[in-house]
Amino acid sequence: MFDTVLVANRGEIAVRIIATLKRLGIRSVAVYSDEDEGARHVRAADLAVRVGATPAIESYLSIERVLDAARASGAQAIHPGYGFLSENAEFVRACERAEIVFVGPSVESVEMMGDKIRAKTAVAAAGIPVVPGRAAPDMDDGDLARAAHEVGYPVLVKPSAGGGGKGMRLVNSADDLADAVVSARRESAASFGDDTLFIERYLESPRHIEVQILADNFGHAIHLGERECSLQRRHQKVVEEAPSPLLSDRTRQEITAAALRVGQAARYRGVGTIEFIASSLRPDEFFFMEMNTRLQVEHPVTEMLTGLDLVEHQLRVAAGEPLSLQQDDVHMIGHAIEARIYAEDPSRDFLPTGGDVLVLREPRGEGVRVDSSMIGGARLGTTYDPLLAKVIAHGSDRDEALSRLDRALAEMVTLGVVTNTAFVRHLLARADVRAGQLDTNLIGRMLESGDSGGPDEEIAERGAAYAVAQLLALQTSPTSNSRFDVLDGWRMGEHARTSFSLVNAQSEPISIEVAGAWNRVQVSTNGDSPIEVRCMQWQPVGVGAKELLLTMNGRASWMLVALDGPHIWIWREGSTSLWRLLAPARPGASNAAHDGDVRSPMPGLVIDVGVHVGDHVSPGDRLVVIEAMKMEYTLAAPHAGRIDLVVTQGDQVVLDEVVARVAREPDVGAVEGVTAKTGETS
Amino acid sequence: MSEGDEDVTWVSAVDTRGEEYLENHRHQEALVKELRARLALSALGGPVTSRERHVQRGKLLPRQRVESLLDRASAFLELSPLAGSGLYDDEAPGAGIITGVGRVGGREVLVVANDATVKGGTYYPLTVKKHLRAQEVALENRLPCIYLVDSGGAYLPLQDEVFPDRDHFGRIFFNQARMSARGIAQIAAVLGSCTAGGAYVPAMSDEVVIVKNQGTIFLGGPPLVKAATGEVVDAEDLGGGLMHARVSGVADHLADDDQHALRIVRRIVGQLAAPLPTPWVTSESEDPRLSPAELYGVIARDSRTPSDVREVIGRLVDGSRFQEFKALFGPTLVTCFAHIHGQPVGIVANNGVLFAESALKGAHFIQLCDQRRIPLVFLQNITGFMVGRAYEEGGIAKHGAKMVNAVASARVPKLTVVIGGSFGAGNYSMCGRAYSPRFLWMWPGARISVMGGDQAAAVLATVRRDQFESRGEEWSAQDEEAFKEPIRQRYEDQGSAYYSTARLWDDGVIDPLDTRTVLALALSACANAPLAEPAYGVFRM
Repeated sequence: MFDTVLVANRGEIAVRIIATLKRLGIRSVAVYSDEDEGARHVRAADLAVRVGATPAIESYLSIERVLDAARASGAQAIHPGYGFLSENAEFVRACERAEIVFVGPSVESVEMMGDKIRAKTAVAAAGIPVVPGRAAPDMDDGDLARAAHEVGYPVLVKPSAGGGGKGMRLVNSADDLADAVVSARRESAASFGDDTLFIERYLESPRHIEVQILADNFGHAIHLGERECSLQRRHQKVVEEAPSPLLSDRTRQEITAAALRVGQAARYRGVGTIEFIASSLRPDEFFFMEMNTRLQVEHPVTEMLTGLDLVEHQLRVAAGEPLSLQQDDVHMIGHAIEARIYAEDPSRDFLPTGGDVLVLREPRGEGVRVDSSMIGGARLGTTYDPLLAKVIAHGSDRDEALSRLDRALAEMVTLGVVTNTAFVRHLLARADVRAGQLDTNLIGRMLESGDSGGPDEEIAERGAAYAVAQLLALQTSPTSNSRFDVLDGWRMGEHARTSFSLVNAQSEPISIEVAGAWNRVQVSTNGDSPIEVRCMQWQPVGVGAKELLLTMNGRASWMLVALDGPHIWIWREGSTSLWRLLAPARPGASNAAHDGDVRSPMPGLVIDVGVHVGDHVSPGDRLVVIEAMKMEYTLAAPHAGRIDLVVTQGDQVVLDEVVARVAREPDVGAVEGVTAKTGETS
Repeated sequence: MSEGDEDVTWVSAVDTRGEEYLENHRHQEALVKELRARLALSALGGPVTSRERHVQRGKLLPRQRVESLLDRASAFLELSPLAGSGLYDDEAPGAGIITGVGRVGGREVLVVANDATVKGGTYYPLTVKKHLRAQEVALENRLPCIYLVDSGGAYLPLQDEVFPDRDHFGRIFFNQARMSARGIAQIAAVLGSCTAGGAYVPAMSDEVVIVKNQGTIFLGGPPLVKAATGEVVDAEDLGGGLMHARVSGVADHLADDDQHALRIVRRIVGQLAAPLPTPWVTSESEDPRLSPAELYGVIARDSRTPSDVREVIGRLVDGSRFQEFKALFGPTLVTCFAHIHGQPVGIVANNGVLFAESALKGAHFIQLCDQRRIPLVFLQNITGFMVGRAYEEGGIAKHGAKMVNAVASARVPKLTVVIGGSFGAGNYSMCGRAYSPRFLWMWPGARISVMGGDQAAAVLATVRRDQFESRGEEWSAQDEEAFKEPIRQRYEDQGSAYYSTARLWDDGVIDPLDTRTVLALALSACANAPLAEPAYGVFRM
């Protein structure tokens, strides 16, 4: 076995791999980019080496620098995790040249499976069913159109390189194909540096089922069962579980056997995953999609079911040890489900978020595992993958696993960063999901019907929590030692009413009026009759945050409130909401003064600015493009007017930052309108 | 605890699940509920018809005026909001005037606002007393005075209790002159009538704002003018805003309405000379570690039940930390250094009857604080000095006098909170009202009288029994009880915090939970006035 292993990754997977290294007594070496200097994986490792600047291409994707780090730290092996260099054949070769063990399969396996088209051809040749489609090298747009026609709509346009749903498009009719091909090529070029596409038939009610295999260098391979990953949003997995509720024992035998044959065909070693697609309508049929020649994000599901440590087995295989396990040694007990916690905002079409982790609480308990990259108090950038953590629950059956996962997610607190946690809970509570009736379009349909968890119904209670926290926060003002600086409207009798307005993504501005002291507050929302809120207990937690036990409307519950500038994070059992405090309206000042403010919907980088100050714009004109987590978001003019203010390309912006201001010009507009009319004489 | 311990965080010995604690808590909660109800009622001001009429005239209610004047959401340390309650047939809630310390433009000011919904804002005897008390607070703490004037002058039916004496109506203007002379700004906003004597409030102010078609200033109103000279003139021409701003020059600024006038006042305050630096060193504020909410359960519901006052102190001071002075000497008086909201304080708190040693310790500690520029906080719960032959022989009178002397002469601000009983000479040595604490408050369950009702009844009954016996007559136990009961009842009534506060014996009855806040606000207010140089060294007692 190795004595030093470098983990060429970051985030939760690096943390997770380091945990196994520690358990096995192997010295762990992390790598980090400038942005990750204080990251959790850096803290977890025995040694951490800076590999370059923030952009991944200069750090985590730099083969040279990662190898330099390995040499400098005396690592005998490199574990690539997933993503980054994990399926990069160049890297595998470079490791070989550097005489450093790549913890993964051979370069041949990587190359074969890395090219989706080649992979399909090879797998089909081994007698494994593949989805009807056409995959040929360098198909041009015309080839793709003909292929789509042959296969029959609806089709999927997929990039030959890469995975994870990036660059993948569902096309329902020939009319939409051209556009889909253009955007798929662009995205796939940007993500993988290769714009080769192929066409595949699109299955109705498709389900994603994958099989985990484990093979050594001596031709011995076993499978570790399947995982179902049908709950996906835009091809991004959200929930994974094992065993699949779809498969019969017979199909399970067939699919695992097929997976082992694929592994054989690839002369595979280490852990790998063969992904299949099946249809709910034909549960006895499955088709090969692709093979991932690395550890999967969702591997903990299998670990919880089998009790095995996949990273340990990867290391043992890489170290040349024979696989001691026989198929019969593998026992799958109960059911395990994983939920991925992403830094994305369901109320804003799942835009990437980010921010400072003001309060972090990760669930614990029987049958619950959390693989996380988060640290309380740390800043979460928008540079890398939005996956923050995985919460995995195990139970004796699917119901128990689901219940445990729901409880665990309810306890998960990430104030300061908007996540999909509440959305996942909402998803898992659906009757179809609970019944195991899944397919890869389920989330899409759910969202199309406008069901993303719904707006928060507890506005008054959230407002109350904020009010109490505010009153408490003001109890001790660190910058002052005059009690007069505490702005709680204290009076000997009933306190002066203070009012404020909060707004969140789902709501119109809400006006909240507060009277009373922190331990007993009357709160009225939008002029409704006041409710009494009593604070039974409180304590400071995290950064600028407080935990409050509040009694209102006949129930007591713990709430967490964190204040971050004008932003207010409020958590209450299983749901977090983010609010912005509106500046109090001053007498005489017009509230409508800044309705032309265009705000950044996410923290990110301004990559394009289409206008200059003084430009006249029409509604919908493109103003600014912001990039965060490899996604682009275009901000358009809300109405006609003149640009008063606009950010500059290269600016880093935070959530809700004003990136442009469009001043209305009623007079000028009218004149222009007249000119246009006379000019064109309609 | 042994000597040498530094800042000591108080470790509570209170069982917050014990029956005693819970019973105390329930008792105190009921008392506070009553207090809140009284405050809410009093805050309404005059009868609903007067309030409606007031509002219909386009005027803000007096509390709204105060709110608009003060910095948004800042605290307001109101003075004696329950003054006058139970007096004047309960027709003068708050004695018809709102006074207190608040923030305007980030600095502490003293606000006096007439409540015209209470008998036209006229001055009852207690209105005068409350106004004068407010001015005293301003003078002692160098707080600019803002008068929101809306008053018909003296309440004529009680003119004999309002007009002639030293501390009557005229004293208001005397105070204005003397404060102005000492550089304490006097600012008036005339938001309604300022008739007769009331006219001098703006007239004696440094700078005056008047609301047009609303504020009037005249020595005699139209009816009096007509009666005196036969001249017929309406109020606006006689003393309206436009006239005073344009012609007489009695007012300096003309405002459109209340809000406008208050904005002008805020601007004026912004132009005042900066306040003097805080005369003591403050530190960063810190919440008590022990929950102040437990105060209710910590306070004994019967003042005769002994309880450790340090449990109270621990729930009032920063970090629940305090450093005792002479912890082992005269333990019936607790003396300690602590901070309240970052302000340094020396706390003198009763923990039983005062003995000679306790008094000496108190005198010593008070002098220490005076030397060190540390404001004093007295937590009064005192049945009195120990009596009896041995104690008199030991000279308890002269030892008590030392403490009384130290209290009387201390130049640092003194703040007194009566948390339990305030009886007899204990009241003096613990900085009762007569010892000019800068502020004095009572908890709702506190009692104040020369002695307890039982003791008074017993003393008077003993005297009476002696009379009977000297005449050789019998005095049945029944008769004695019949004699004692009304005495006890009278002491019961007159000893209550509400009886006290109605008569301005204190600056207000406060929710025990507000004690820390009230003390902190008051200390901030006190910090506006510089300290004189000390006149003596510390006498070791």
